[in-house]
Amino acid sequence: MKNKPLESLTMDRRDFLKTSAVVAGSVALGPSIALAEQKKPKEIIVRAWGGSWGEALKTGVADGFTQATGIKVRLDFTEDNEIKPKIWAAVDQGRIPPIHVNWDTTTNATISALRGVTVDLSDLSNLKGLLPLAKPVGMEGYPLVNTYAYVYVCAYRPEAFPDGPPQSWNVLLDPKFKGRVALYDDGIGFNPIAVIAGGGSLKDIPGNMEPGYAFYKKLKANKPLLGEDADFTTWFQKGEIDLACTISVNARAAKQSGIDVAWTVPKEGCKVDTDGLWVPKGLPANEEYWAKEFVNFALTKEAQKKWCSLLGLPPVYPGIEPPADLAGDVSYPTKPEDFAKLVRVPSKVLVENQPKWFAKFNEIFQG
Amino acid sequence: MASNSSSKLPRRWHLFDIAERNAAALWPKTMHRYSGYLLLVPAILLVFVLVLGLVYIGGYSLHELDLATYRLKETFSLTNYSAALTSTTYQSVVLRSIGASILVTFFTLLLAFPYAYLMVRARQAATKKFLLISLFLPFFIGQIVRAYGWLIILGQEGLINTLFAGLGLPAMDLIYNYPAVILGLVQYMLPFAVLLLAPAITAIGRDVELASESLGANWMRTFLHVVLPMAKPGLVGSSVVVFTLTLTDFAMPEILGGGTTDFIANAIYDGFFQLSNSGLGSALAMILVTLGTAFVVILFFLAGTGTLGFNGREQ
Amino acid sequence: MIGSRSKGVVLWTIVWFDLLLLSLPTLIIIGASFTSGDIVQFPPEGFSLKWYSKLWLLDDFKSAFLRTLYVSIICTLVSIPAGTLAAIGLARYRIRFHTTIQVYLLLPFTIPLVASGLGMMIFFGEIRILGQLWPVGLALCIINLPFMIWAVSAAVNGLDDQLENAAANCGAPPLQAFFTVTLPGVMPGVITGALLMFILAFNEFLVSLFLTDARTVTLPVSIYNSIRSVITPDLAAVSVVYIVIAFIAVLLLDKLVGLELFLKSK
Repeated sequence: MKNKPLESLTMDRRDFLKTSAVVAGSVALGPSIALAEQKKPKEIIVRAWGGSWGEALKTGVADGFTQATGIKVRLDFTEDNEIKPKIWAAVDQGRIPPIHVNWDTTTNATISALRGVTVDLSDLSNLKGLLPLAKPVGMEGYPLVNTYAYVYVCAYRPEAFPDGPPQSWNVLLDPKFKGRVALYDDGIGFNPIAVIAGGGSLKDIPGNMEPGYAFYKKLKANKPLLGEDADFTTWFQKGEIDLACTISVNARAAKQSGIDVAWTVPKEGCKVDTDGLWVPKGLPANEEYWAKEFVNFALTKEAQKKWCSLLGLPPVYPGIEPPADLAGDVSYPTKPEDFAKLVRVPSKVLVENQPKWFAKFNEIFQG
Repeated sequence: MASNSSSKLPRRWHLFDIAERNAAALWPKTMHRYSGYLLLVPAILLVFVLVLGLVYIGGYSLHELDLATYRLKETFSLTNYSAALTSTTYQSVVLRSIGASILVTFFTLLLAFPYAYLMVRARQAATKKFLLISLFLPFFIGQIVRAYGWLIILGQEGLINTLFAGLGLPAMDLIYNYPAVILGLVQYMLPFAVLLLAPAITAIGRDVELASESLGANWMRTFLHVVLPMAKPGLVGSSVVVFTLTLTDFAMPEILGGGTTDFIANAIYDGFFQLSNSGLGSALAMILVTLGTAFVVILFFLAGTGTLGFNGREQ
Repeated sequence: MIGSRSKGVVLWTIVWFDLLLLSLPTLIIIGASFTSGDIVQFPPEGFSLKWYSKLWLLDDFKSAFLRTLYVSIICTLVSIPAGTLAAIGLARYRIRFHTTIQVYLLLPFTIPLVASGLGMMIFFGEIRILGQLWPVGLALCIINLPFMIWAVSAAVNGLDDQLENAAANCGAPPLQAFFTVTLPGVMPGVITGALLMFILAFNEFLVSLFLTDARTVTLPVSIYNSIRSVITPDLAAVSVVYIVIAFIAVLLLDKLVGLELFLKSK
């Protein structure tokens, strides 16, 4: 992890001035904020991913929040990339943004934070005591908060691999699996890995991605299926693929429906990343307050435990035991040595380069 | 009752008088030669919203995205256009869309012409009605619902693959490919084409066909050399509509194409929403507008407006 | 039928294929909606109405349905005066630049929908009305306006203009002549156009996709969003709602003006 401990401990002058301004502001606005706190909106709209992801958020967080506050939670399944420009335009034009809380990849959330459309979450009471992973890297305060880590594992059907789990990602190129391998439709989670599998090294990223693109050109001949989270689960369930680079959640969902699916970390490693929650600017004061309360609720021990165990991912709340089926699993990194086997690309590199990688991926596979 | 209606009528006249006086005050007789223009004002204003929208898109297309801030740069440049025109991805997307438009126009007209012909010429009112209703029902059901129907028919566990399995045949990938998109589009366009062909076929008198056949031409020759040429306004109108609607379609490639058979509209959408690059998306949109307009203008120039004009007298 | 037997065979073969093509998706959706199973499959797993009863319990469906109704009504109400007046203006008055105006009024058809949708999204955003529901109705009216003008134009062209001249010669003032002679004369066109506008707005998807969000989502957009994740039979039940509405509209159109109207040569 690239988290610099110093950064989070010391408060520089600018931070201090900002904080005191916020304090002064809230003193001045005291009564109106207190009034706003009481006015509950009818509902809160949370953008989410569908399938088992949405189910986990609903059962793990949303239902509990509704029970505690009486505020209904509506999940909006607009795609993460699509909601981004819609929120940006709304904030730029001073309109009310289309959602209250965005459940987002840390990279996309960071891009939105850099764009200045996120509300600072530093004052959430439940931030205290979370793992360092929760703090967004390279930014002041908490324009977003990370909620768990996850691994883009190499998921496979053991039946198709009688000699044991695949040792290298190069197995994707094996003609034996032509038309039976799958990736995300923008290559997310695999773009850096492809560089290593193609003969490059971590140091090549982002300067020299060519080994990765060369790998993709060979992979194209093997006709991979390209999809989104829920697709992988369906494909495994229908026996349409033998091998995929996907977040462990999707493979586990197939496994839980009785399909024989396993996952591994090949020698080149797997990409580890985080997701987070953030609140867009421009909401009416009372709605912003309750949107932040939703995020705060998602960080409670109870919600973290329920939500993340349903997903099967390591939460940012410390000391939560992994679900029974994932203890010691490669897809559930908790200790530094677990992370050592995985590939973590610095947030800054992802923010500046991921969109270009997506475009290149498209060019190779759509062209 | 009687007194009621008798008091009502004069009141109506009275109201008309008042309205008439007000109208005359607002729009004096000297202005009457401009009345036609006045009637056009609401429609012209409504359509002007689209013109404004295009102006915005044109403006956006001239600014490059700054990847450091994810905002469009202040400076004007043609970077988006050169990026769009030189990218092999977009070139193949454009060619795919044009290819699909040609295929869909051909198949749709081939299927639509006999339908329109039999519908117009049907002797029995019931046959005519049956054909009309069968045409209008899907016409009134939107693209999304029809695409959904095709998903159920062509999917891995859909109707056709289930039938195949029943016959002992292996399951086939019928969906998420180019032919599925073409099929979905042809089905979608069929009612448009038939409805634009029908008036043109009606305009061809039965006696013309009879004359041709009585002169010894068989029905194929009559069809090819008499009916088809005379139906030209309908063929032009329906070709234009089917071609441009296909060229600019979004839903069918999106739903039935499975992400690997993007048309231009899908690329525009992805430019705006996947890449967050409204500049590039706008440049692609301007290219599409230009392509579509060029096609319509060329065809109208070569063949007239056909059944598309508002004014029947032009034909 | 003019011509030989072979002509009938060839033409009717194609037409039966057309009929199959046109009706298959509709029939399949109706079939799928009555399944008692939890997934869409063939043959359906028993018969039940459970997906329909489920539909009525879904608040999301009900509000999306009402929103769709709302935008369709706005679209129709705006298009009636705008389209009728424009059609009469074009057909009955001396207009300079007649062709230019015709081409201009056909812009909603010649500008690709994706461009119209994006343009209105940007423009409505700039004037701060994006995110509300009524602009969606207005937008649907704009993109389909030529249909309304077409429908009324056909009726105006079919109307004998001697009638209006007679009214004027008998001293009928302009408004009265308009409301008592012209308007009733073009009424079938207005009805046809209004029905078309309503049903097209009710089904419109792409422009609505650009102009709606989670708060204002309409039925076609919400069906599209569901198709992208998991295909369940409740979607078939929603689609049947569309089929029923289309059927009612066809019957109404036939009753009010007669479908045969569309076969008339201009």
